[in-house]
This record gives sequence, structure tokens and C-alpha cells, in this order.
Amino acid sequence: MDRPQVVTENYANPVTCLFHVLFKAGALVFYILFSLFVKSFVIIFVITVFLAALDFWVVKNVSGRILVGMRWWNEIDDEGNSVWKFECLDGEALARMNKKDSWLFWWTLYLTAAAWIILGIFSLIRLEADYLLVVGVCLTLSLANIVGFTRCNKDAKKNIRGYFEGHAQNAITSRITSTLQSAFGVI
Amino acid sequence: MSHNHGDTIPLHPSSAQSDMDEIESLIYAAPSATVLPARPPSPPRASIPVSTSPAPLPAPAKPSLPGASVPIIVPQAPPASVSVPIASDGFGPPPNTLTEPVWDTVKRDLARIVSNLKLVVFPNPYREDPGKALRDWDLWGPFFFIVFLGLTLSWSASVKKSEVFAVAFAVLAAGAIILTLNVLLLGGHIIFFQSLSLLGYCLFPLDVGALVCMLKDNVILKIIVVTVTLAWSSWAAYPFMSAAVNPRRKALALYPVFLMYISVGFLIIAID
Repeated sequence: MDRPQVVTENYANPVTCLFHVLFKAGALVFYILFSLFVKSFVIIFVITVFLAALDFWVVKNVSGRILVGMRWWNEIDDEGNSVWKFECLDGEALARMNKKDSWLFWWTLYLTAAAWIILGIFSLIRLEADYLLVVGVCLTLSLANIVGFTRCNKDAKKNIRGYFEGHAQNAITSRITSTLQSAFGVI
Repeated sequence: MSHNHGDTIPLHPSSAQSDMDEIESLIYAAPSATVLPARPPSPPRASIPVSTSPAPLPAPAKPSLPGASVPIIVPQAPPASVSVPIASDGFGPPPNTLTEPVWDTVKRDLARIVSNLKLVVFPNPYREDPGKALRDWDLWGPFFFIVFLGLTLSWSASVKKSEVFAVAFAVLAAGAIILTLNVLLLGGHIIFFQSLSLLGYCLFPLDVGALVCMLKDNVILKIIVVTVTLAWSSWAAYPFMSAAVNPRRKALALYPVFLMYISVGFLIIAID
């Protein structure tokens, strides 16, 4: 079944990979099938959005840090400013991450957002404002995770380069956290 | 500036070679690469790899508190620089949030939702400084309350359940966003997501009122219940919105909030 590879490397965290994909697929499948065969909008909305929210939480809090060693969240500091935090493991731990896990993580993230965009276009063509609401919520959740982890990934790459350089000097860098003032934070 | 004041750790030559190979492959391979570069098979790894090196800073780490971490802003850092290692325990003591068990994450998030609900809807010591009340904001509570209210209203409706649900959800979700933008346009100092979180938690009394009205069909009882819960929601939202804007523009910020809650109240009474 699989594409032949020079190196046979299995997933390091198959259970986490399963849950990472399960809720995404569940939301998409429920939305497509139920909108074709079941005409109750309330049921479609509640189940689809619930699965999308569950997927958002799992990716942000569990599979993100297990599969690619990253996490992001927002805090409000003592001065009342909004601070976005992006956290990743140190260079040595990142270097030991499974390549296949990382590949699955990023590709499913992008493909899910693309799928919701396509479904949104269909709803727009058929002039169904109700279903556009469902797609809008699910797409917002997907894009939030993509933006968050993309920023984490930039720091992770810097961390790996730092580890590579530090490794040459027998030094190991520690965890890194970068911050970004929220665009909505007003001073 | 870059600091490499770490402890010198002699590494085994074979592990050093293997690590360098992994680093090179990881550096040059894009995250979304579909073809893995050829390299010797590596031994099985732990599910959550954590660096076992001792802390690079010789001084003992200060006890970390939620929100007490000092973030370092690195704008346009040189590509070759090594970032300063800093302990970032955003939530509680070590082990850090990257390596904690999943159940700890779930418990912390649930406790945060309950805590935020208490802070917003019930009297709390931060009422005079509402920015502190929701420092640890989340959108799970508001999301649940909006869906719950939509479900309650659509169950109460005898016809057009879908339209009722869609209108309720859209009015509440878009309403919260518009109210926050209104405060921003008035020149107020407010944090976007914190405001969304607060307005969502303030729906809790109206949710309870909608549930009671669904179970009882008496119109007079409905009016009384909705009036009480409407006053409660407005009371909960008042200090936050009023503190965010200039006192002379307080009315302009508060009126739309009351208008939204009154609209929800009318929805609850009218649908039967």
C-alpha cells in the first residue's frame, strides 16, 4: 500500500496521529454526508462545529506538542497587554522528532483548511447562508491553528540551527519562547 | 547578541555522528516534504522526547507563577544568532506544558472555564479592575453558551427551527465581534479576545433564563424570568465595558451591549 521508501520509518505516535486525523475527517464527513441526506440544519451545525472545536483543541494542546514539539497560546500580562506565546522544545529534542509524524501533521493541517474553503465555495454558489456559517466557523478554527503553528515553526527552525551550532561547540540551547504583540492589543 | 554559556558535555562519537546526521536532514528538509531523505534507520524513540541535558543556567530557577514569565521580544533576529535560553512556564510549575500528560491539560482547561465563569457572572474582588478578572481568557465557555442558547431557542420553536438557530448563533457571534469593534472605534483600551470571552460568559444568565422559559409556557413568568436574567447579564457586563472607554463615551459603549441582550431577551420571550 505505502509508497516504497529507502528508509522504513514508522510513526512514532500512532495513537496521536489517529486522533489528529480523526476529528478532522469526522467533521468533514459529517458535514458532507448530513448536508446531502439529512435536512436538519441544527443537527448538522452542532455536530460539525463540535467536532471542529474538538479537533482545534486536540491539535493545539495535544498533537501539536507530541508530533512536532510546539505549542502556542495567549496571555495577558500585568500591564494589561495581550501577549501571544509560541513555545517549542529545545534543539536536541526537536532533532529527534519523527519525520513522518511531522509530515502528517502539516499536510493534514493544510488539506483540512483547503477542504473547508472548497465547501465554502459550494455553499456560496448555492446561496446557502446557513451552511456558510458552519464553514466559516470551521475554517476560522483551522486557520487559527495554521497561523499559530507556523509561527512556532519559525522559532523551532532557529532552535535547531542554534542546536547545530551549539553542538559543534559542545553546548546545548534550551527552550525558546518568542512573543508577538497582538494586532488587536491597543496600548 | 547570543550567549552560549552552557555546560560542556562530552558526547560519545557515534551518538554525535548520528545526531549531526539527523540535524542536517531536519534542517534541509521542509516541514511538508513528502519524500524523506535516505539515511540509516534510527533506533525507536520515546513518545515524548525531552532533552536530558542539565539546565544551562547554573543559578537555580526562580519559582514560576502563572503570568509571571518574562517574554523576550526578538524582532528581526539575525539568522545565525542563538536565542537566549529562558524558562517559560506559562502555566504552573515544571514540568512545562510541552511535556505534561494530556489529562493535566484537560483538567487545567476545565478549571479555567469554571474560574472564568465565576469571575464574570458572580461578585468577585476584581470587579473594580475587570482587566485582571479575565487575564486567563478562553473562548470555550462562550462557544458553549452560544450553542446552548441557540439549541434552547430552536427546541422551543415549533416551526423554522433551523432559521431560529442560525439567527441566534449569528446574532450572538457577530454581535460580540461588533460590540468589541465598537469599543475599539471609540478609542477604548480593550483586548479583542478578552472582550469576546467576557461577552460570551455574560450569556450564562440568559441561558438559564431560556432554559426556564422552555420548560414553562406561562407568558408572565417568561417576562419575569427574562427581566431578571437580562438585568443579571447587564450587571455582569457593565464594569468591563465601562472601564474600557473614556467616561464621557461610556454610554456609547454600553448602549449596544444592552441592546444585544435585550434582543436576546425578546427572542426568548417571543419564540413559543
